[in-house]
Amino acid sequence: MGTVITFWALAVASVVAALAVVFLRDVFRAALFLLASFIAVAGIFLLLSADFLAAIQVLIYVGAIGVLIVFAIMLTREVKRGNPWGRMRFLAAIAGALLLVTIVLAVVNTAGWPGGTPPPPQATTEPLAMRLFDLETGFVLPFEIASVLLLAAVIGAIVLVRER
Amino acid sequence: MILKRLLDWLAGYWPEWAAYVVVGLVGIMVLIAFFLTMIMVVIWLERKLIGRFQVRWGPNRAGPWGILQPIADAIKVLTKEDIVPDRADKWVHLLAPVVAFVPPLLIFAVIPFQPDAILADLNIGILYVVAVGSIAVVGAFMAGWGSSNKYSLISAMRVAAQMVSYEVPLVLSIIGVILVVGSLSMMDIVNRQSLPFFLMQPLGFLVFFLAAAAEVNRSPFDLLEAESEIIAGYHVEYSGMKFALFYLGEYGHALAASALVTALFLGGGKFPWGALPPSFIWFLAKMVLVFCVLFWIRSTLPRLRVDQFTGFAWKFLFPMSLINIFLVGTELWWAKEMGWSLFPWPFLFLNWAIAGMLVLVWPKLFQLGVGRVEV
Amino acid sequence: MALRTESILVNMGPHHPSTHGVFRMRFIFDGEVIVDMEPVFGYLHRGIEKLAEGRTYAQNIPFTDRLDYLSSMTNNLAYVLAVEKLAGIPVPERAEYLRVIMSELMRICNHLLAVGFLLNELGAFFTPLMYMFREREKVLDLFEMVCGQRLTYNYMRLGGVSHDIPPEFLPAAKKFVREMPGRIDEYERLLSENEILLFRTKGVGILPREQAINASASGPVLRASGVRWDIRRADPYSIYDRLDFDIPTGEVGDTYDRYMVRIKEMRQSTRILEQALEQLPGGSVCTRVPQLVRPPAGEAYGHIEAPKGELGFYLVSDGSVAPYRFKIRSPSFINLTALRDMVRGWKLADAVVIFGSIDIVLGEVDR
Repeated sequence: MGTVITFWALAVASVVAALAVVFLRDVFRAALFLLASFIAVAGIFLLLSADFLAAIQVLIYVGAIGVLIVFAIMLTREVKRGNPWGRMRFLAAIAGALLLVTIVLAVVNTAGWPGGTPPPPQATTEPLAMRLFDLETGFVLPFEIASVLLLAAVIGAIVLVRER
Repeated sequence: MILKRLLDWLAGYWPEWAAYVVVGLVGIMVLIAFFLTMIMVVIWLERKLIGRFQVRWGPNRAGPWGILQPIADAIKVLTKEDIVPDRADKWVHLLAPVVAFVPPLLIFAVIPFQPDAILADLNIGILYVVAVGSIAVVGAFMAGWGSSNKYSLISAMRVAAQMVSYEVPLVLSIIGVILVVGSLSMMDIVNRQSLPFFLMQPLGFLVFFLAAAAEVNRSPFDLLEAESEIIAGYHVEYSGMKFALFYLGEYGHALAASALVTALFLGGGKFPWGALPPSFIWFLAKMVLVFCVLFWIRSTLPRLRVDQFTGFAWKFLFPMSLINIFLVGTELWWAKEMGWSLFPWPFLFLNWAIAGMLVLVWPKLFQLGVGRVEV
Repeated sequence: MALRTESILVNMGPHHPSTHGVFRMRFIFDGEVIVDMEPVFGYLHRGIEKLAEGRTYAQNIPFTDRLDYLSSMTNNLAYVLAVEKLAGIPVPERAEYLRVIMSELMRICNHLLAVGFLLNELGAFFTPLMYMFREREKVLDLFEMVCGQRLTYNYMRLGGVSHDIPPEFLPAAKKFVREMPGRIDEYERLLSENEILLFRTKGVGILPREQAINASASGPVLRASGVRWDIRRADPYSIYDRLDFDIPTGEVGDTYDRYMVRIKEMRQSTRILEQALEQLPGGSVCTRVPQLVRPPAGEAYGHIEAPKGELGFYLVSDGSVAPYRFKIRSPSFINLTALRDMVRGWKLADAVVIFGSIDIVLGEVDR
């Protein structure tokens, strides 16, 4: 009962916040709603006993990405008025809807939606690490490649803004 | 533990979810009461101690030794007029103090005062703390932006710089601890410290302490509200209770940071010679001690400039935390290879030697008198 | 930075914790970097120069107290020197000594505050300032003994000083002079080697030698830039030619040098005080001067090395009881003219510190 109430509260909150992000003209408020949406999604992760994922969601999305977005907004002009309506908005809406449908279909069709599976492990951190870094079945190589890519991006950014 | 018993008792009469809600509310109430009392105590202590540091008396009018001063302050602040700037973003301005105030409170839910005095011993305890702590910054952002004041705006930009810079060494310095403990739970971390971790990982302790001080805006990292530069920074346009919320939130965050230092590096409620008094007393004592060190630094050191501030994070704390991880990882691997179950003593001296050397040598890389930009 | 953001205009002041009164700096910032700065003053303008033309020479002494209210004694001195020059009033030797003693006490007092507020602007949360206040209190006690006032002394008179010192003054002053070097050592131990202080001040806000001279800067600001110019030596007044002291100078003219020159000057002041208190002769402290001094028509410029720099009074007399023209050359105002060049390119936080290192008092800037 409690879980259900919480789930619906979080789900509605996250969807409403996400809609606010799209429809608000004031970019700063939109960014704040984006953060709210992230937090609500973290709450849903918690309900699914994915506590590690929830914490990471807050840490990375709210703490780092959200902050960067807000920072970027502060450096832009005419925040209150937001972007003018573009001529491409119908095309954008159609493309967005198509993408949504594709994703939803893909998720619905591929995930098995098993019901009544055994409850997820109590501590998710360790199994997650095992799954990620296991030498035979894990994802060590992709992980390392991603980190090298990020490193390259960081160095590139430094080179770009370096003085002189 | 008491809460658990209350839960079992209530569940006998009420539906389970109602019992959960009631017990949860009781826990929250206890936490808030504790939090506010603690803040009042440390505010009084800070004013008194800083007074002594500054060769003066500190508060001594309200009650014996000025002990009622925080209450007098609270009454004053509550009765002040609430002023909202005309051009402020009203909703953002209103919500900002709340967003800034709640996260420190949330952190206290996982602080292990004593094995049976922890509101929630989460599996991801320490990660939760870091995640929640990062939300507090959003409050500062909202205040800085919503006030429609240029000082606030500058402060909000500094918040972003601080957040992006200091979160990194903060998290990385915790990894050293997690490597040894093998768990993210705060209780496990405290239980593993037969030897407090600050002895074992001086470098990690140093980095964590400094990064935490920066996260909670204590000097010399108090750039967000640098009085001599941007007056009060993001909360310059706040008055009355909203200002009080910021003030409480800030002290609460500092208190949470010292509680974390205690739990992660000072052995929590453990005491070297048995445990005569209950361990939460030791925990509180250590926590207040760490907080006093923050006062001490505050009343001693000047403030860094904003580029030095970020430079310190990236050029000093960040490499130090990486070295710490590398050091601890290597030692753990070595200990495992050799089949030692306990952390061997020679490593302790090695770590202190390396930490001392780095702290002495590394700052030589910094240059004096730089920072001018051609305009 | 290759990436330029839109610059913002920030009005710092007139009400701001670090503008030392009501001073306004219009900054144009690029991020936190200062692109341009325009000082705006006049918020404390009281028209003293004009007011003084309607009052007698003796009545104008209290006005000078209100110029640089943190060093009233030296303001008095500069003014009475100018009038004495104009009217040819002799001063007894004991009064000369007392004037020097008070001036040097005032200098210590002023430099204490200058250093204390500089540290405050660096963000040291009042602690250095409180230490400085501890010593300043003792000086103020001394002043209270001789003239009953703690801020606006009105102590110097045409032809001497208003009161002779009470018997308890000498022991107290000697005790202060004995203690002071130890106190300065204490400050130096706490501050001069502090890493953050070094990082914030070394090389920051450099005022090159040539520029300092061109800007007509004076006092510690000029000496920090390496110019050996001190009116106590260059154009000795009172009895400074009988006293032995050095003129501390800086090398680069950065904020740290300005800080250091002030610290060293405090040491020199204690040296001067030692000698002056030792040599203090007996006799009268004021020559008899008529209530209404009527100097012959003419002009005179009396200047002294005030704590903040060259403080000069240019007086023109038309033979009446009031000055025809009363012009103040105030060190704060003129030192301030170099500020724009010093702060450009530095950051917001540096601007506050550089501004603090010039050490101004708005009462003197706006007059």
